[in-house]
Amino acid sequence: MIEVDENDLMRCPICGAVNIDKGNKNICRRCGSNIYKHRNFSTEKSWAYLITAIIMYIPANLYPILITNQFGQAEGSTILGGVVLLWEHGSYPIALVIFFASIMIPVLKFLILFYLLISVKYPLGNDKKVSKHKLYYMTEVIGPWSMIDVFVVAILAGLIHLSNISIVAGTAATAFAISVFFTLLAAHAFDERLIKEKL
Amino acid sequence: MKLENEDVLDRFVICHQCYTLHEEIPIKDGSHACCTGCGGILYRYDTRLVDHGLALSMTGLVFFVLANAFPLVEIELLGVGQFLTIPKTIFSLFASGFYIVGIICAFLIFIFPLMIFLINTLLFTLLKFRVGTKLSKELLVLLAYITPWSMSDIFLVSILVSLVKLIGYAQIHMGVAFWALMVFVLIDLYLVKYIHLSEIWMLRKRIILKEAIK
Ligand SMILES: [Zn+2]
Ligand SMILES: [Zn+2]
Repeated sequence: MIEVDENDLMRCPICGAVNIDKGNKNICRRCGSNIYKHRNFSTEKSWAYLITAIIMYIPANLYPILITNQFGQAEGSTILGGVVLLWEHGSYPIALVIFFASIMIPVLKFLILFYLLISVKYPLGNDKKVSKHKLYYMTEVIGPWSMIDVFVVAILAGLIHLSNISIVAGTAATAFAISVFFTLLAAHAFDERLIKEKL
Repeated sequence: MKLENEDVLDRFVICHQCYTLHEEIPIKDGSHACCTGCGGILYRYDTRLVDHGLALSMTGLVFFVLANAFPLVEIELLGVGQFLTIPKTIFSLFASGFYIVGIICAFLIFIFPLMIFLINTLLFTLLKFRVGTKLSKELLVLLAYITPWSMSDIFLVSILVSLVKLIGYAQIHMGVAFWALMVFVLIDLYLVKYIHLSEIWMLRKRIILKEAIK
């Protein structure tokens, strides 16, 4: 017989099995993954990824993401510039899709991860712990959709390369892809168990 | 609460959306149990999961090959025809010097989706013939790591977005691969996103137990 407190039960992030929290080092009884390595390291890794992602997001917005070469003239457009242009041309749905994917989702994800990482260390909003798990789940679901703009650039660049008109990716595409990559890493490195930790 | 041993914990399930603890109850074949906290699906019970999984992952592979072998779209711009395939999308990034984006795209829309379906095919084959319990465990762990990084569905939406951008500039014809990719994405959504990995873990456990009784 083992006596367990319900609050000491946790979910393995890899296989979903319910495990008993035994302190510093837990190995999942079903899949053998490390669940919770060390109290202090878990957030540090996540912070590092998040800060890298935010830093990369700056050039992603300053440099052109798409360069159009038309009859010898090269014209670059930034993420925001592209959205404004689409809006002026009347392509409202596409302008909104790009706006959400490239601006709203990354910024929201930065803010949510920021909030979650801070709330792990400081008692912040602990009365609503359920909404924190939902926030985390939401970032996992919507996060990857910010890749849309990078894919669109790749598709247009692959499709249009005539001698008179050609489209190539811009520096921002690299910065943006790296930013998304690190945001996803930050989210995955963030131990869901930490949300419950400070209760 | 009191537990006989750790294995009893398999009777419990924690919601992956809101982290509420639930005790598993037997449900009808083909139905699913929902979370009382958030309404999300906790688990499903499907006695024919092995056959469904195997059939779907093999069909998925066929459509993946089709989606990569043929043009996704063909356009006519200034009287010149152009076409695009998935490999071409990746290679043109490399050709223009965008190695990082090229590598990221290669993994997200080609390598990971392909790996997931290959692993699933192998996994369900192992489960069907009740062999290789150690390998199936490793495959399931690997799947959990790769799944969040497979973005065929997002790529499909991106194709539509790019085409809408091109309306008015070029004549657009959808290629065979576009429809193949669409079927592939539907299978991917069902097999990879809809069926939870924990359901396959439970299935694996049932199979191991059955073998032990024999
Ligand atoms: Zn596990
Ligand atoms: Zn729930």
